[in-house]
Amino acid sequence: MSVIAELATELAKLPGIGRKTATRLVYHLLKQPAASVERLALALQAVTRSVRACSTCGNLTEQDPCEFCADQRRDAGLVCVVEEASDIDAIERSGEYRGVYHVLGGHLSPLDGIGPDDLRIGSLLHRVGNGAGIREVIVATNPSMEGEVTATYVRGALDGHGVKVTRIALGLPVGGDLEYADGVTIARALSARRDMGG
Amino acid sequence: MELSGLTIRNFRNLASLDLELPSAGVVVLGDNGQGKTNLLEAMYYLVLFRSLRGAKDRELVRFGEEAFFVGGRANGGAFEVRAGYESAGRRKKISLDGNPVTRISDAVGKILAVSFAPSDRGIVAGPATGRRRYLDVLLSLAEPGYLARLTEMRSALKQRNAALRRGRGDEARAFDEPLASAGARVLEARTRWVERWSPRFGALTAALGERAEARMRYRTHRPPTADARSQFLDLLASHESRDLRRGMTTAGPHRDDLELSLEGRELRMYGSAGQQRTAAIALRLVEAETLRDSAGSPPIALYDDVFAELDEDRQARLLNLIHETLPGQAIVAAPRESEVPASMLDRPRWRVKGGRVAA
Ligand SMILES: [Zn+2]
Repeated sequence: MSVIAELATELAKLPGIGRKTATRLVYHLLKQPAASVERLALALQAVTRSVRACSTCGNLTEQDPCEFCADQRRDAGLVCVVEEASDIDAIERSGEYRGVYHVLGGHLSPLDGIGPDDLRIGSLLHRVGNGAGIREVIVATNPSMEGEVTATYVRGALDGHGVKVTRIALGLPVGGDLEYADGVTIARALSARRDMGG
Repeated sequence: MELSGLTIRNFRNLASLDLELPSAGVVVLGDNGQGKTNLLEAMYYLVLFRSLRGAKDRELVRFGEEAFFVGGRANGGAFEVRAGYESAGRRKKISLDGNPVTRISDAVGKILAVSFAPSDRGIVAGPATGRRRYLDVLLSLAEPGYLARLTEMRSALKQRNAALRRGRGDEARAFDEPLASAGARVLEARTRWVERWSPRFGALTAALGERAEARMRYRTHRPPTADARSQFLDLLASHESRDLRRGMTTAGPHRDDLELSLEGRELRMYGSAGQQRTAAIALRLVEAETLRDSAGSPPIALYDDVFAELDEDRQARLLNLIHETLPGQAIVAAPRESEVPASMLDRPRWRVKGGRVAA
């Protein structure tokens, strides 16, 4: 395979990028000044070398603990559980949330071979159980079927841990991802969160 | 409901067609294998955005091509439905009046048609899958929300079955709730429809000349009560160990059947070929009446070589019923003019040969 085809193949693996777009991107890059393409290559390298998961919450970060876990002004008694690290950006967009996070790393999907053990549910239970003073867990998984199922599973797993569990009230159409919701919608969904009982 | 214009590109053996259809419909003549059935299938694609014959989308793309397109103008141009499919990205694009729809269910049933074909006998004579599909297609077209619930039920079922195959009861249980919520609605809609239309099915079978009393009955584990959801949840719980052993969900609406019988004897096993054929036609007529009632006007009728296999008496009886139930647009396909009932010949003729249509 030529290097051009090789790069196109790699780019085509990205979400939302088909083979055609990937090829177009490669030719676009080849028309740019070499220095600018090299900056892109360096940035890619830097990202893969220095970004890792926060050992507390699973957020993707250069420093461990991440900026949210390290921030003393944040309320460590309030934990918002999200599917992906990218969902944190969406919640932050609301400008209303002052607690910390916990990233599951996906949702339950037996079809894709993802069970509870493949998600960071164990580390959530550990966080809640180790006397860090967590009062409330807000489950902010997506409003898709898998997201709801995952929320229910997390709720069940937290049973008997003496913590309040709430579910974000997403007024989004079912299947709509958190990632694409605007700040106002998320602020509303957070303030209208409901108790999941238990 | 009528189709006024039809555009086809690379659908099965139909390379490129731009057709205008009169309100009364047309008589489509041509030898087998020339494209008659494909033409009807393309029309029906605009109803369901799936093959009427159960083929996969990629099988509908003309040999050597990469994509197909079907577009239809309905009711003299009142609205337009377009559907396209690309093999490479396995991408299906559907638009209504030029606006892409995000969920296919939003466009399903905008154009309504009922298709009669000799293979319909398989619905009566074949396995339960075909009868469930009959119910699902019909209810998807007639009942708002049914297709969305059915889709949810199927996704939940796939996830639950995958969990069962992994031997994970806890994972499977997590999908009980969405499965039961969607499944209960599916079950309720199916039983309600069968109860309401069973007498009509009997009356139509009789009107087609069958002397024995025909009935349909929805066969399920437990007929739904007021709370079908918790009933389904109980059913899932009580079958869990068996489900885990078998690696699949063994009870639920996805295993139910639409039982068709004559004098209490199942048509699938005991019906003669003639009785099965009559029952299949009655099913299509019940479908037509259901769609007419839900939409307020009769659906388009597609007849794919169905009259030749009926004797004169049955043919006359069917024509009477059609006159009543399906007075609208009719697309009547047959190999030869002599195989089309005289009363249907008062329509323009199209001749299909090698995927081309000549008026
Ligand atoms: Zn962190």
